[in-house]
Amino acid sequence: MTQRRPQLHELSAIQRYALAVLAVSVALGIALLLDRFSFRAAEVPLLLFAVAIVSWFGGRGAATLALLLACVIFDYFFTAPYYHLNISRTDLPYYAIFASFATLVTWFSTVRRGVEADLRLARDRLEVEVAERTQQASLLDLTHDSIFVRDMDDVITYWNRGAQELFGWTAEEAMGKRAHELLKTVFPSPIEEIRAELLRSGRWDGELEKARSDGTRVVVASRWSLRRDERGRPLAVLETNNDVTERKKREEQITSLNAELGKRTSELEAINKELEAFAYSISHDLRAPLRHMSGFTELLQKSTASVLNDKSKRYVGMILEAAKKMGNLIDDLLAFSRIGRAETHKTAVNLEQLVQEALSEVKQDTSGRNILWEVGGLPAWYGDRSMLRLVLVNLIANAVKFTRTRPEARIEIGCGGQEPNQIVVFVRDNGVGFDMKYVNKLFGVFQRLHPPDVFEGTGIGLATVQRIVHRHGGRVWAEGAVDRGATFYFSLSKSQGV
Amino acid sequence: MSTLGRILLVEDDPKDVELTLTALDEYNLANEVVVAGDGEEALDYLYLRGKFAERSGENPAVLLLDLKLPKVDGLEVLQQIKSDARLKLIPVVVLTSSHEEKDMVASYRLGVNAYVVKPVDFHEFVNAIKELGAFWAVVNEPPPGSIKKR
Repeated sequence: MTQRRPQLHELSAIQRYALAVLAVSVALGIALLLDRFSFRAAEVPLLLFAVAIVSWFGGRGAATLALLLACVIFDYFFTAPYYHLNISRTDLPYYAIFASFATLVTWFSTVRRGVEADLRLARDRLEVEVAERTQQASLLDLTHDSIFVRDMDDVITYWNRGAQELFGWTAEEAMGKRAHELLKTVFPSPIEEIRAELLRSGRWDGELEKARSDGTRVVVASRWSLRRDERGRPLAVLETNNDVTERKKREEQITSLNAELGKRTSELEAINKELEAFAYSISHDLRAPLRHMSGFTELLQKSTASVLNDKSKRYVGMILEAAKKMGNLIDDLLAFSRIGRAETHKTAVNLEQLVQEALSEVKQDTSGRNILWEVGGLPAWYGDRSMLRLVLVNLIANAVKFTRTRPEARIEIGCGGQEPNQIVVFVRDNGVGFDMKYVNKLFGVFQRLHPPDVFEGTGIGLATVQRIVHRHGGRVWAEGAVDRGATFYFSLSKSQGV
Repeated sequence: MSTLGRILLVEDDPKDVELTLTALDEYNLANEVVVAGDGEEALDYLYLRGKFAERSGENPAVLLLDLKLPKVDGLEVLQQIKSDARLKLIPVVVLTSSHEEKDMVASYRLGVNAYVVKPVDFHEFVNAIKELGAFWAVVNEPPPGSIKKR
C-alpha cells in the first residue's frame, strides 16, 4: 500500500467556485423545466442536492457560495411573490425551512469533508512511516548478525536474513513460534535469573547453545535488549546472535594445547632435574675413582722409583697423564653442562671493558710470545656478563693457541656490523687456520681438528661459546683456510634469547 | 692418641682417607687425625657419644668434612655444628669432589670456614691437604676449648 490513491476532486479555487455556480444553475434549470411541465416542488430536493454536491466536492468556500445562490434563487423563483426578492408572509416559513435545511446540509458536508481530510492525512503519514520501517527492517537484513525480535511471551515477531542464515529457518517458518523452543536454547544459568537481569538492566549478554533447523548445535554470543512501551512496560526483546562455534572450538584447542604444553614443560623440567642430578653424580662419583687412580699411581711411582726400568716408568707416567686428561674432560663437560643449566642474568654490558678483562686473563699465558693486538671499538650491549666474558676468553685463547707457530702473531678483535637489534663481534688471527670443509665440526662437543700433541685442548671451548651465544639469541660462525688464519664471528641479539 | 686428634676427618671413602692421611703424613700430621666414616659418627665424636663417649671433652682444632656421606650428610653435619653454641667455633673445611655451585652456596650460607674441591691431580691434592692441615691445625690459633698445639 505504498501507492497513494488518485484524488478525484483535487480542484483549483476557480474550478470549485465555478462548480458552485454550475451546480446551482443546473438545479435551477431543471427545476424551472419541471415547473413548466407542472411538476411541483421539485426545486427543494434539486437545490439541496446541488448544495450537497458542491459541499462535497468544492470545499467550504464553494459550499457557502452555493448555499447563498440557492437561497437567493429559491427566494426569487419559488416563493411568492414569484420573480421578486420579497417573500410573502405565507411563504416565509417555507423559505426558512429550505434555508436552514440547506445550511444544515452544507455544514454536515463540510464537517464530514474535514474529518475525511484528517483521516487522509493520518493515512498518508502512516504510509510514510510504514515505508520507513520497512526500509529499516530491510537494512537489518543486510547485517551479518542474526537478529530477531520476540515478545514477552517469547514468540518471534521479527526474523532477519542473518537469523535465517545462521539457524536455517526462514522468517515465515520462525515468526509466531516460541524462540527458545524453536532453537532448543541451552542457557548457562537458570532462565529466571537471565530474565531478572534483563528486566533490571534492560540488557543481557552471554554465550548460548542453540540448534539449527538441521539439528546441529551452534554456540552463539548472544546480546539481548529489552524494548519498553511509553509507559515503561516491557514490550519485546531484540536478540542479536553471533556464531562463535569456531572460535569456541579454537579456544578449546588452545586450552588443550596449553595443557599439553604444561605437561611437556613439567616433563622437560623433570628431565632437566634428572640431568642435573646426573651431572652432580658425575661431578662426585666419577672424579673420586679418578683421583684414587692418579693418587695411588703416584704413590706407586714414588715407591718403585728405584726398581722400575725406564719403560715401566713411562707406562706409569702415561697412566698419570691419562687420568689427568680425563679429569680435565670431566671438569670441562661439567662446566659446559652448567652453562646450559645456569640462568642468564642479563644486564647492560660494556663489551670493550669485557674484552680488556678477557685479554688480561689470556695474556697471563702469552709470555715469550710476540703478539700484535688490534682491538677495535665495541658498543655497550645487553647480556649475561660472566657468560659473554667466557665467550671472549675462549675465542681469544683459541686465537693465541693457534698462532703459536707464528713468529709474529696478529690477533684482531672488533665489531663486524651493528644493526638496531643485533651486533656481530669477531676475533681474527693469522694462525694455522682450518679447512672450511670441517667448519661444521668446529662447534661440536669434543670435536677437534688438531691432534692433541700439536695443540692441546678438550674440544669443549667452541661448544661452550656456541651454547652461550645461542642463549643470547645469536649465532656463531667461522671462516678460515689452512695456514691462513681464522675468523670467528658471533652475533648477539637484543630482543631474543633467554 | 687415637681418640685425641686435632683434626677430625669426616670421609666415607677409605681410599680418600688413605690419600688424605698420606698427604698429611708429609707434614707429620697423620697421627693427629681422627677419622669418622659418616656424619653420624662425626656428630658422635663431637658430642662424645657412642664409641667416643670416653674421649676427653675437647673440640678438634679443625674439621675436614666431605659432603656426600652415608646416614647424615655433610651439609647436615655442618648445620648441626654451626647451630650449636658449643661447636660453632670449630673451623670447618668442606673437602669435596663437588664443583656444584649450589653445594658451595649452601655451605657458605651455613657458615663454612673454607670450601676446597679435591683436585684430581695427586700433586695438587697433596698440596691442598698439606696446606689445609698446616694452616688449620698448626698456624691457625684455634678457638678456646680446643685441643692445644703441642
